Amino acid sequence: MTAFRFIHASDLHLGRGFSTIPQADDGNVRGRLGEARHAALGRLARAARDHGAQHILLAGDTFHTATPSQSLLRQTLSAMGAEGGIDWWLLPGNHDNLRDAEPLWDAIRRDAPANVHPLCDAAPVDLGAEVALLPCPVTHRDPGRDLTEALVHAKTPHGTRRLGLAHGAVTDFAEGRAVIPPDRDQSAGLDYLALGDWHGRLEVSARVQYSGTPEQDRFRHDRRGVCLAVSLPGPGVAPEVEAIETGIFFWQQSELRLGEGADARAALDAILPATDRRDTLLRIAATGWAALPQRADLGAAIDAAAPDFALLELDLRALGTLYDPADLDEIDRGGALRLAADDLHGAACDQALPEAEREIAGAALARLYAYMREIDA
Amino acid sequence: MKLRGIRLENVRRFTDPVAIRGISDGLNILSEPNEAGKSTLFDALRTLFFVPYRSKGKEVQALRPHADGAPEITVTIETDTGTFDIHKRYLSKPAARILRDGMLIAQADAAEDWIAAQISGGDGGPAGLIWVRQGAVDLTGGTPKEQNSALEARRDLLSSVTGEVEAMTGGRRMDAALARARAELRELATRTGTPKAHGPWKIARDRLAHLDERCAELEDTARALYQALDLRKAHRAALAELQDPERIAGRRQRLAEAEAAHAQAERHAQAAETAARAVETATLAFEAAETRHDAIRRARADLTDATRAAQAARSAAGRVTATLAEAEAQARTARIRADEADTAADGARSHHALAQRQLAAREGAAHRSDLARRIEAAEHARRAAEEAEASAATFPDAPALREIEALAARDAAARSARDAAAAQLVVRYDTPQAPRILLHGATLQDGARVTLDRASEIRVDGIASLAFTPAAGTSGPDPVTDAQAALARALSDLGAGDLDDVRRMAECRLDAERRASEARATLKGIAPQGIDALRTALARIPAADPEGETLDPAETAAAFERAEEARLAAQTALGTAREALSATQADAARADAASEAATERLERAEAAVARLGDLSETDAADALDRARGDLARRKTAWETAAADAPDLSATDAALSRARAVEETARTRIATLTPEIATLDERIRRASGDAVEERLAEARQMREAARDTLARIEREVAILQRLQSALETAQDTARDRYFAPVAAELRPLLHLLWPRAELSWAQDTLLPDALIRDGIPEPVEILSGGTQEQIAILVRLAFARMLAKGGRHAPVILDDALVFTDDDRIERMFDALHRQSGAAQIIVLSCRQRAFRDLGGHELRLSPAMDDGAP
Repeated sequence: MTAFRFIHASDLHLGRGFSTIPQADDGNVRGRLGEARHAALGRLARAARDHGAQHILLAGDTFHTATPSQSLLRQTLSAMGAEGGIDWWLLPGNHDNLRDAEPLWDAIRRDAPANVHPLCDAAPVDLGAEVALLPCPVTHRDPGRDLTEALVHAKTPHGTRRLGLAHGAVTDFAEGRAVIPPDRDQSAGLDYLALGDWHGRLEVSARVQYSGTPEQDRFRHDRRGVCLAVSLPGPGVAPEVEAIETGIFFWQQSELRLGEGADARAALDAILPATDRRDTLLRIAATGWAALPQRADLGAAIDAAAPDFALLELDLRALGTLYDPADLDEIDRGGALRLAADDLHGAACDQALPEAEREIAGAALARLYAYMREIDA
Repeated sequence: MKLRGIRLENVRRFTDPVAIRGISDGLNILSEPNEAGKSTLFDALRTLFFVPYRSKGKEVQALRPHADGAPEITVTIETDTGTFDIHKRYLSKPAARILRDGMLIAQADAAEDWIAAQISGGDGGPAGLIWVRQGAVDLTGGTPKEQNSALEARRDLLSSVTGEVEAMTGGRRMDAALARARAELRELATRTGTPKAHGPWKIARDRLAHLDERCAELEDTARALYQALDLRKAHRAALAELQDPERIAGRRQRLAEAEAAHAQAERHAQAAETAARAVETATLAFEAAETRHDAIRRARADLTDATRAAQAARSAAGRVTATLAEAEAQARTARIRADEADTAADGARSHHALAQRQLAAREGAAHRSDLARRIEAAEHARRAAEEAEASAATFPDAPALREIEALAARDAAARSARDAAAAQLVVRYDTPQAPRILLHGATLQDGARVTLDRASEIRVDGIASLAFTPAAGTSGPDPVTDAQAALARALSDLGAGDLDDVRRMAECRLDAERRASEARATLKGIAPQGIDALRTALARIPAADPEGETLDPAETAAAFERAEEARLAAQTALGTAREALSATQADAARADAASEAATERLERAEAAVARLGDLSETDAADALDRARGDLARRKTAWETAAADAPDLSATDAALSRARAVEETARTRIATLTPEIATLDERIRRASGDAVEERLAEARQMREAARDTLARIEREVAILQRLQSALETAQDTARDRYFAPVAAELRPLLHLLWPRAELSWAQDTLLPDALIRDGIPEPVEILSGGTQEQIAILVRLAFARMLAKGGRHAPVILDDALVFTDDDRIERMFDALHRQSGAAQIIVLSCRQRAFRDLGGHELRLSPAMDDGAP
């Protein structure tokens, strides 16, 4: 019996928009992000060829919405169809579930090229080579039950490799949802359970794996998107799984820790990547403490570096402000300006005030500081 | 610096030198009438201190003496370093000199520098703060240069006490910061803190609202799509079930079974009905047999009874017949006797009647002749009335007359109208011999007037023929012809020639009616009850009896009475006999009737028995038993059929249901198919529109819009907070900056207005509002008196501050209290005295009486000595 090779991917979320991503007037990051998702199809096909796999299993949420536009659907099917020698197996996920996306799956059944196979029935599919694909299509946005339970009773010929394909949470992804038991491979006698839903790569066990999305769309996972090249040597034999990077954009979160006297510009430079900035979306959470000059320096440094990146965001919510009398002296040593600075400083440090008021007062003081720097420059 | 003396020469009216000497430290007053030169003195002092000696400006020109010459001004001042004379000459041979104890210490520009150093602040220096020109009630008067100088002086003074004003208020840096914050805020919000129209804040808000609406719309569309999907799924499932061959076969089988059950039930019901009808027939047969049996039984009994009754009746009739013969004989006898009595009585009555008639004839002969005469007269009157009425009827009555008159009037009116419209021809012959004019062949006489109302020919023999044609417009029905025709018809109907005939006939009618009325009255008088009543009365009067023998009515009456008594007795006897006979006849008749009835009954009984034929009572009883048995059997059969019958209504209901199920299935299939097609189209359209994709996009955009709005609102909050902090700090700093002068001014203010305060303008460093009872009143709207009082008090306060700083400057008031009333002026005097302890004050006033109570050192303007010194 020869090893059965296939590509396990999921959560392409084709058609997803990125309207929440800030975009400069002269930028096109949203369009690039969308295009990168479509281009992931080609990269998956290339990964399949590179690893001698004929089949690509998409474990749900291939489409971001239940009713993608005609152009999106047609272009997707065309892109799949263009990959000769590759069979695409599409499982309905919660985003493109059977109930909400019935017209979508009708259209795929009707219009898809011969190498694209929608898996709308929970019935075993013979993939040849003594491999039975056991799909668990998602029936509703929230089916309210574990759809993989049926795999326990799914009958396949003796000696066949049982390959489960499902979409849903194993644990801890969302409260109140029915979850897939992490040992479903054992209870259902599966050689491999290809899962979708979790956008990051996750190995639940040797036989139960989330591939994550091939093109990331959020900051949570801190690595580029991957697919899994899986090889099933034989029934009962542990699969060989290799993660292959397919993502273009790197959604990165970094922490910038500052302290008294730290050089904010240098600290920022230290965490900014030197390369691939154009394909990097970086969210920096500043923590610790910074004096008014540090804050001003940090803001200026971010403004200077931001055009290099697809996105560069600075979150100052966790960054406390140190108020050095010398900094206040920079605003003024006396008189009305000093009075105003003292007032804002007092409010920012007054624990009796609501946090929102303190925060606004602190920001106003930082703003005053920045004004005076510019005025005095 | 304190003023000690002033000398003027060739200044306006003072061609000859005048001087003021002995000016004291405190309060000085120069009270002189108008045009004594007080303002000249004031202007001269200002010029000396503030106008360079080479100046030929208007201030200097204004000091030029009336008799021409070079104005010269000398002031003696005392400072910490000594006593000095400041001398300036303008225009001609200008000069400036400073002398100390008669020694020249500076002259020309050096002298000017020395003066500038004394007043420290130049043009508007400390003195500029405290000199009040006549009538200058406001705080900011003077030329722009003077105002600027005064401002600088005030700034110097306040800064020397409280620090630099810029240091206090932040100066340009503060202005720049505040302007920046305000400008950035103004881009976002209005002054009232609401989003600025077309600004980013407003746009973000509107965009979020728009996206909320768009999401709601798309959610509705998506919801509709999913409902359509669910409905289509349900419809498809229902259709598949309805069209499932097994289910179709099941429905049809159930229908066939129901139809068979119903047919079987109907057949059973018909059999039961036949059995029921057989029961009814048997019942009728049984009832007939029973009736026949009863009839036979009754007829036999009746015949027996009738036979017995007939025999008894015949026996009774025989007995009554004998009694009747006897009663008839008695009755015949009584009749004979009664007839005899009747005859006798009738004879007596006739006889007596004759006697009566004879008497009446004798009495009624005269009455008869009178009645006959009245009847005759009455008949005559009646005939006369009838003849007159007949005559009246032949003539027209009043309505007919009125109608004729109306027609005649209409005719006349028509003629008048026609004549009025028609041409008139009046003939006037020139001579009696002139040829005659003919109209329609008739000769027109001289003076004749003819109306030409129709086509006419007018001819003058031998001369001409004139054809006259009426004017157009007279065609159509001719009213005159119509009226004439109507009148002629009416007259013809009455047989009259003209209206006068009708009127005469109407009068004849009235005459005839009158005569008829008179005849009727006569008849009424003769025969009030009518002629027939007279005739009846006449007939009642008996005619004279022709018989010759005259009878005595009394005798005939007695004979008649006796005969009547005999007849009455005979009649009574006859009545008795007849009563007896009648009773007997009645008995005989009853006996006969009873006998006949018994005979008839017997005959009927016999006939009834005969009709029954030969059927015996026993046979009838047997037939009755048979009929009863048959009825019982048929009842049993019917009951059996009824008991076994299926429930027809149940089978009917089952059949209806089976048919309804089939029909419903057919209808449902026919309905579902197009509904599914409709849903297909709806789903195809909605899914083709990518509603979910657009909804996801709209939601993301809404989330981004929320973030944007939150960021802008935070920015607004930061800017508002910053602006508020800056403005508050600026106000606080200003208050601190003005605190010393406010403290100096407060007791003076309270002399006039207890608890009053002044607020200060940062730009002018002067009061801009008087605050009384917490209500700020802008200085410019205060009365002239209040404004001048504030102006003086402010200067007094500044002078005192200067003095406390060792920089004495005289306060010179040139008729400064012109608008102040008597009450306030007393308190202003108190204020002046209060401040004079620390500052030199010189009051110039023309109000000698009012300022008599000011107190202070009195000054006099007096001729100067020629030594040049004041």
